[in-house]
Amino acid sequence: MLSTTQLHSYHAQHAKLTEFAGYEMPLWYTATTDEHLAVRNASGIFDVSHMGRFMVEGRQATDFLEGLVPTNVRSQPLGKSFYTLLLNDRGGIIDDLIIEKLSDDSYMVVVNAANAQADMRHMVAHSPEGFEIEDLTPSTAMIAIQGPKASDSLQPLAALDLGQLKRFRCEQTDVAGQKALVSRTGYTGEDGFEVIVYGTTNESPEGALKVWEKLAATSTPCGLGARDSLRLEAGLPLHGSDIDQSTNPFEADLAWVISAGKVGFIGSAALADQSAQNPSGIRRGLVLDSGIPRHGFEVRDGSGVVGKVTSGTFSPIIRKGIALCRVTRGKSDFGTRVSVKVREAAQGGSITKPPFYDEQLYGWKRHKDN
Amino acid sequence: MDFQGYNIPDDLMYTKEHEWAKQEGGVVRIGITDYAAKTLNDVVYVTNPKTNDSVQQAKSMGTVESIKAVSEIYSPISGTVTKVNPQLDSHPELVNKSPYGEGWLVEVKPTNIASEKKALLDAKAYAAHLDTLLKK
Repeated sequence: MLSTTQLHSYHAQHAKLTEFAGYEMPLWYTATTDEHLAVRNASGIFDVSHMGRFMVEGRQATDFLEGLVPTNVRSQPLGKSFYTLLLNDRGGIIDDLIIEKLSDDSYMVVVNAANAQADMRHMVAHSPEGFEIEDLTPSTAMIAIQGPKASDSLQPLAALDLGQLKRFRCEQTDVAGQKALVSRTGYTGEDGFEVIVYGTTNESPEGALKVWEKLAATSTPCGLGARDSLRLEAGLPLHGSDIDQSTNPFEADLAWVISAGKVGFIGSAALADQSAQNPSGIRRGLVLDSGIPRHGFEVRDGSGVVGKVTSGTFSPIIRKGIALCRVTRGKSDFGTRVSVKVREAAQGGSITKPPFYDEQLYGWKRHKDN
Repeated sequence: MDFQGYNIPDDLMYTKEHEWAKQEGGVVRIGITDYAAKTLNDVVYVTNPKTNDSVQQAKSMGTVESIKAVSEIYSPISGTVTKVNPQLDSHPELVNKSPYGEGWLVEVKPTNIASEKKALLDAKAYAAHLDTLLKK
């Protein structure tokens, strides 16, 4: 039996549905490409209520999280939303996540839907005696508003002046009369927000539906198809495809999340090892001259196989096949020419540094005021 | 005819894999059905055979890809490709907009159409096939 989010009645009426991480979710409403372009050019909304939302609170909360993630927690300013990783003892990535620092001793931890249960088990296993982590997933909804016009779409509903909320910051406020936590973050590469709506459940989803339907008046509803193509075009990894428990942050090209000099977090001993810091392969972008690379395709050069595509799609912006891949270190320089066998034909391509779009034209950095 | 929102022109022949074929003079024009196009949702890339390639009935002759998925195209009949839709390289979305018109894939000079035709479905039989798929 599939789980549903609080917005399921809307999706069932308007979208083609698909199964994802145990949830029945919208795959697309009209067409993936149209939804993708709406986010790059205007504003789109996504139901991301399937993601896990955990409240970590109390006097021990900061120390607990400090031991859990490779990024400094105590030194983060109040109202910071920061990207980090949960690691196992070997330094492998259990999940990637956002931690929102609500006060000196309370944090909202937002994790991937597919890993939520495993993350909770990992956190509970490493928490101090008597420490409780509250799962807020069932009693909240979560909606992402993404795109250059996201602010225009959300502002009329928000009590907070969004102009004052910087990238990777969050604040508690009201949205359409509902208590909400608004964070200027996302998974598309664009400017935008992720809104956690409080006080709404599957039994009485009116609050979530109200926020969604008001946003849908000015933003394009987007399904998981566009969510995946947008994150890929932005070069953002998907846990379970591009990174996993066997990938460490160096291989994942995410070593920047490890705060300089930080020790004492789970996995830190393994990552201190030279061999961990110089892995045989590393995550890279790949653009094909022609054809679409897909998960599992081999990346080759004249000498043979030098890597593997971990996720691939067609980029509606550059109108080429793009991928994230794992390639051996000697072949990982940007601009390295490789080939990918797309069914019968070997297609030429280049190793690149994502995002795949021109950052002068697309993505949140084009907005100079951020 | 219209079957549950899917257009199935009466004058075409169909495969169970959702290709259509239309015999016109000495050639057969081939494409994918409205159902196939709608199921793919948005075609972003078409890999067609080349002119003079030979294709075989029920064998893969190319692919149609959406952002998420790859779908094989199985040739409805055997023959030699005489023409490839030149518009699809730059406008693959024509397959969605007009699967039976501007979104056609290739034209083939058939080698054995008289007997191969028997393996194809008419509009009514294709609608019945869709009906069983949609009930699954």
